[in-house]
Amino acid sequence: MNLHKIIRTVFFITMPLYFISCNSANDNSISISGAFALYPLGIKWTEQYKKLHPTIRFNVSAGGAGKGLTDVIAGAADIAMFSRELTPEETRKGVVLFAVAKDAVVPTFSTKNPYSNLIHHKGLTQDQLKAIYFSGGNITWGSLLDTIGKDNISVYTRSDAAGAADTWAAYLGGKQSNIKGTGIYGDPGLADAIANSIFGIGFNNVAYVYDVNTGRKRPGIDVVPIDRNNNRMIDADENFYNNTDSILAAISDGRYPSPPARNLYFLTKGKPTNTAIISFLKWVLTDGQQYVKAAGYVPLPKEKIKEQIEQLN
Amino acid sequence: MTILFTIRQKWVDRISNGWLNAVTFFMLLLPLAIGLGLVIESFPLLHKYAFTQLIGSSDWSPMDGKFGFYDFIVGSLWITLLSFFLSAPVCLLTAIYLTQYAPGWLMKLMYFVIDVLAGIPSVVYGAWGVLVIVPLIGAYVAPIFGFASTGYCLLSGGVVLAIMSVPYMLNMLMEVLLNIPVELKEASLSLGATYWETIKHVLLKQGKSGIIAALNLGISKALGETIAVLMVVGNVVQVPHNIFQAAYPLPALIANNYGDMMSIPMYASALMLSALLLFIIIILFNILTNALVYQRNK
Repeated sequence: MNLHKIIRTVFFITMPLYFISCNSANDNSISISGAFALYPLGIKWTEQYKKLHPTIRFNVSAGGAGKGLTDVIAGAADIAMFSRELTPEETRKGVVLFAVAKDAVVPTFSTKNPYSNLIHHKGLTQDQLKAIYFSGGNITWGSLLDTIGKDNISVYTRSDAAGAADTWAAYLGGKQSNIKGTGIYGDPGLADAIANSIFGIGFNNVAYVYDVNTGRKRPGIDVVPIDRNNNRMIDADENFYNNTDSILAAISDGRYPSPPARNLYFLTKGKPTNTAIISFLKWVLTDGQQYVKAAGYVPLPKEKIKEQIEQLN
Repeated sequence: MTILFTIRQKWVDRISNGWLNAVTFFMLLLPLAIGLGLVIESFPLLHKYAFTQLIGSSDWSPMDGKFGFYDFIVGSLWITLLSFFLSAPVCLLTAIYLTQYAPGWLMKLMYFVIDVLAGIPSVVYGAWGVLVIVPLIGAYVAPIFGFASTGYCLLSGGVVLAIMSVPYMLNMLMEVLLNIPVELKEASLSLGATYWETIKHVLLKQGKSGIIAALNLGISKALGETIAVLMVVGNVVQVPHNIFQAAYPLPALIANNYGDMMSIPMYASALMLSALLLFIIIILFNILTNALVYQRNK
């Protein structure tokens, strides 16, 4: 009876210590949090890395680039997946960025949209896109496509602090907070909402628009082609949205503008000192690069990769 | 030997007394500590702007250092009220039926359903809202009333919240009604009152304070629910003019912008202030219900 009590008391008093010890540098576990854009690739990399190093444990979660950054600064995660450029405010926090791949944000609409053929034929110009996203609707599809049609466009954006939203806004000359529209949580949620909205328009990361396994767009979702030369039709060199390979090629050679094409980063608080994290990052920048293309991303040029590895030495 | 034994008992007694006091004291301090922490954290913002200006202005643009919480407060109150009006009458009538009219097995079954409903994680409610409620309201309900809506709106949030607060309200209401002495009912019936009159004048009067407490629990639950609401409510910073427009409640503001805390000056402080506002609203609600209960017991 007494022994029980003693054990119980000791246990209760020391309980906080167990929690603390769980979080502290357990050398074999790496927690990664942040951008939805990088999440599929992050999963792929951690799976492959585990095959080589069975003792290591990963904890990968998506919640938007901002959440990743905040988690890393607060010490709740080791590595953040980050999908936009840092602001001067954030740079001062002393974080280190490692560019690991490239992708893009693309404007998306629903396959149910009755104007679908016209959208594919004419596309939308940068100015039109700016008017749409920064006003949050009150524009008719007809007026955009020089046709009759009084259906108002409804704009969808991300509600969480998202790299995709920030990158898309940067292309239109603003910030995430400038995009007005219905706010949806997370990239998959946003893709769903757009697919179900007949007159809706939004934006998604390439990885959530194209299905890597089939190479085609996911069911229900379609991409608005960007009319870069403002001649109100989509020319041959502007028409590359058909499948994963064609869009990745266009991102890679610059036919798709940047932004919304962008680098994707892993981010750590200060230069990493933990050997497990360093060797994982090194692997990502060397052998890990072979998985980038297959996962639906654009690999970085060789010189760029070299620069990143030098940051680790 | 016996002396030793009594000394030991004495000490055990003292220690357990001390334990109990300490734990109780700790519990009493908890809300105070949370409130104080929130005040300290939101102080930078409160120091810079007047409190009345912060809650009275609709101008929300953190990039430019404009923090007006009015739209969020209104959104929070609207969605809470809406879910209350959708769920409270249903819960009350269900509780009356189950405790007074229904066969025993039905009540047992309902308790099981309540347990299941209470156990479902809120993110599941949110996903279900997105897949079922949002398309339903956007495509069918809103057009019936002559509104165009994306479906991500106050009503969707209200419906999801109403369903989420059902188990808490219903469970407590049933307990309240079951605990009313059967003699009271018998007395009323023997005086010639009908069954429904008895329920109306005896049960509901007798259980009033418990019923108010149960409804308050539902309201608090609805006010604080975060993820399920932010998935369906649309998150547009505006004062909604009808239930088919999007709104932006306070908990959603905190959850959505956690990621921007580090990048915009004063933002962390602003989010802590919204937490403080929620805290204040909850306290006001509780003061109100306590006043109602107290009035009743006088």
